Amino acid sequence: MSDAEEKWVGQAVKRTEDPALLVGRGGFIDDFALPGMAHAAYLRSPHAHARIVSMDIRRALEHPGVFAVLTGKEVARLTRPQRGRVPLAKSPTVYALAPEKARYIGEPVAAVAAVDRATAEDALDLIEVHYEPLPVVVDPEEAMKPGAPLVFEEIGSNILWHDTFPYGDVEGAFQRADLVVKERFTIHRYASTPLETFGGIAQHEAATGKFTIWGHTQQPGQDLHVIAGSLGISPGQIRLIVPPLGGAFGNKVRPLYLIILALLARKAGRAVKWIEDRRENLLGLGHAANGIMDVEAAVKKDGTILGLKFRNIESEGAGIDFAGRHNLLMLSNIVNCYRVPAVSYEGYSVVTNCCPVVANRGIGKPFMCFSVERIVDAVARAVELDRVQVRLKNFIQPDEFPYDTPSGQTYDSGDYPEMLRKGLALIDYPALKREQVKARAAGRLLGIGIAVGVEPGGSNLSYGMLISGPKQLLSGQGEAVRIRMETDGTATVYTGSLDSGQGHGTALAQIVADELGLKMDQVRVPITFDSASHPYVLTSGVYSNKFNGHDTAAAIGAARKVREKLLQRAANHLEANVEDLELREGRVAVRGAPTKAVTVAELASRAYWSLAGPQPADGEPGLEAVYYYRNPMARPPDAERRVRVQLGFASAAHVAVVEIDPETFEIKVLRYGVVHDCGRQINPLIVEGQVHGAAAHGIAAALLEEFVYDENGQLLTTSFMDYLKPTAAEVPMIEGDHLESPSPFTPLGTKGIGEGGAVIAPAAIAGAVEDALEPLGIRITTLPITPTRLWEVVSKRGTRYGPSAP
Amino acid sequence: MPDTISIDLTVNGVACTGSAEARRSLVDFLRIDLGLTGTHVGCEHGVCGACTVLLNGRTVRSCLLFAVQVRGAEIVTIEGLSKSGPLHPLQQAFQEHHALQCGFCTPGMILAALELLKENPAPSEEEIRVGLAGNLCMCTGYVNIVRAVKAAAEAMAPGRGGIPE
Repeated sequence: MSDAEEKWVGQAVKRTEDPALLVGRGGFIDDFALPGMAHAAYLRSPHAHARIVSMDIRRALEHPGVFAVLTGKEVARLTRPQRGRVPLAKSPTVYALAPEKARYIGEPVAAVAAVDRATAEDALDLIEVHYEPLPVVVDPEEAMKPGAPLVFEEIGSNILWHDTFPYGDVEGAFQRADLVVKERFTIHRYASTPLETFGGIAQHEAATGKFTIWGHTQQPGQDLHVIAGSLGISPGQIRLIVPPLGGAFGNKVRPLYLIILALLARKAGRAVKWIEDRRENLLGLGHAANGIMDVEAAVKKDGTILGLKFRNIESEGAGIDFAGRHNLLMLSNIVNCYRVPAVSYEGYSVVTNCCPVVANRGIGKPFMCFSVERIVDAVARAVELDRVQVRLKNFIQPDEFPYDTPSGQTYDSGDYPEMLRKGLALIDYPALKREQVKARAAGRLLGIGIAVGVEPGGSNLSYGMLISGPKQLLSGQGEAVRIRMETDGTATVYTGSLDSGQGHGTALAQIVADELGLKMDQVRVPITFDSASHPYVLTSGVYSNKFNGHDTAAAIGAARKVREKLLQRAANHLEANVEDLELREGRVAVRGAPTKAVTVAELASRAYWSLAGPQPADGEPGLEAVYYYRNPMARPPDAERRVRVQLGFASAAHVAVVEIDPETFEIKVLRYGVVHDCGRQINPLIVEGQVHGAAAHGIAAALLEEFVYDENGQLLTTSFMDYLKPTAAEVPMIEGDHLESPSPFTPLGTKGIGEGGAVIAPAAIAGAVEDALEPLGIRITTLPITPTRLWEVVSKRGTRYGPSAP
Repeated sequence: MPDTISIDLTVNGVACTGSAEARRSLVDFLRIDLGLTGTHVGCEHGVCGACTVLLNGRTVRSCLLFAVQVRGAEIVTIEGLSKSGPLHPLQQAFQEHHALQCGFCTPGMILAALELLKENPAPSEEEIRVGLAGNLCMCTGYVNIVRAVKAAAEAMAPGRGGIPE
């Protein structure tokens, strides 16, 4: 067998995570308990906007079983204020518990630690709070108006950030255009709602002042520092342990809860646990931002798009942690798959009395993809061309890669025309069009939606400098991995990244097994992150589709260092040159002299036992290496403010077939096809699962899921009875095919694949619904698309499902 | 402190005795008092199905029952499915077909599928989808879950070993 044949990378191996999960031994946060552990509960504001005039906790403290009560005022004394992940020029003062004013329904204002959760909740009822309700602002456009109620008085406006980015000759493009196509699009608030809610356990050691925190995060390095910074202690005083995540999707990034648990643990003198309940999760963990996007396309009569202008208003809710991020990340897919030479983007980050936003699968990019794909459909209609033809006409061509977009993204590779052709072939587009003609003649509303998209992966955190300036500390992108070869020749891989269900442990084992000539079951990847054993950088974690370009590179870097040490030891042992050695199947042999060999286990054993024997050239015993990988492409913004917001670009074509009941307007997804291109696949089984799951999120975001606030800022969707998640009966069988355009910029040619479905599917569904409603002439410019609202539009003989154009 | 009530029941074939406050839910009793953490809590209002267990052979949502309501009953949780033996054909099929990602819904999903296959040993795709519509999975888009249940049904068909007890 040659080396090429025995690679683990590329094989659809079964996941190493599964055996424990299948028998209910996942080791999730709620499965842990410590002796004498207390349980926390949060008191949350019943008002969307209210001054906290007074708070009396005496009765709660006297309640049997209560160990500690914490108020916002106390938190303001004990901690430093929170800062945004992208620091703002004018930052409001925010604490983990609201001291003076509640700014959204469900904002925590006090916390209790008690003998059990039920007792803690009993005690919440005994806290007397006198609120003075204030005027509420929910709509971001209203929030921008002079005289609107201010969410943060200290910054004098609800506009946290506003900026314009012109890239290329935008005005020239609009002057040369034969026509300008304009639309206003909106997107709602939704979240992928991991089935496991947020949780944590904090323990404080009074003698040393050290904290041990078991808890949820997707960015362990950053959140450890957020917690340490807030408590005013060294990061070395905190041991952060992150158990396997029962789903995350960007939502599990609220360190404020871990800060409060730490304070409660210190105050109560015992470990304190808190597991968010589902109502708290829907009310307060975090939503994807809602937004209002005005788009103008400068177009030639032949369908060529010369330029695009975007103006986006993003509702950040009442938080600063993710302020600006939805906006800036949209620069990554602002031209989507198209060769558009000039674009401008004007973004507003506006605070409202709604739940603060967090990342949610694709953060910002679903709305940008929706806006671009919807405007392309509108352009096709305006120039009376088929929407497929308009896409083919404007695509970046396969021979143009690597391709630099106007905003500074470097698209690595792809074949968008072939991807779209494959997508259409997947559902037999010509046959479907014929079927549609017959269906329409019979009065049926059958529609086909087509959407393509890039799937950016791996955030270059220098993009925050577009807001905070060049002095921002957090920049670039990378990951850290430590590999220890054990004395029996097996390897243990410690990564600063995490797993929230993707199977990163399996994929890393495949990669490291290949590099070290081991079997997969000889590589273990303890996926529970522990800051005491796992190396990390501040960009570490599971987010932004970064695994394929960064976690992989770090693992390969560490494995090659170990391999180098191993081969040096073998060279000593076999009295041969390193260049003459080959490592495979757990042995190192001299090439051409197969009897002259030594097992990896023996070398590994000697590396730790035999410190007096001959050592490798570096003189260092042991067989362990740490590798800190940084992506060299992740640079700060240039003088024209171009920046590689994201660093890898997978792509996909989605085709949706829907039928709408002409009486009830129920929307049924009959077929759904995805052709994706993530370059080389480490594990096709896992890739397929990511494609399915992300597409299901996108479909559900388009048709079912919506956080609805009333004008008082009251959230009306706080259970899974009102916030509709898709079941097996709603998600169609997702049909798939793929292309493989390896990235020239990642060590294995891989690209991120976890988010694309969620980015592209809303556009495909909207296109399909609009196509189905073609006989009624209704344009779809907003999400989600619900039967009730469709019926309202049709019954009023409307032509627009969405906001009126400005 | 509130009064507790004694509870005798059989869990995964083993007789258990415990006591709990009247307000203790069955899922909390299983997880906290009996240490059976394989049954997960996803919504605590009976929609997501993560806490599904078998109560006298039928699936129930253990978040919607009080522990005191099941005195004398027989409960099967995910821990009772394969005990220390080989994986149940459903568990095997879930791994084979990558029908789990984060794995949080998996115990409830497998018990719901087990009941489905007992009632309908050869379900169609549509029947599987409707049969599992009481269990949410946030990761997989259900595609591979449907495939796995179909494969398990075939593996468990008469002549292929039947339904293991």
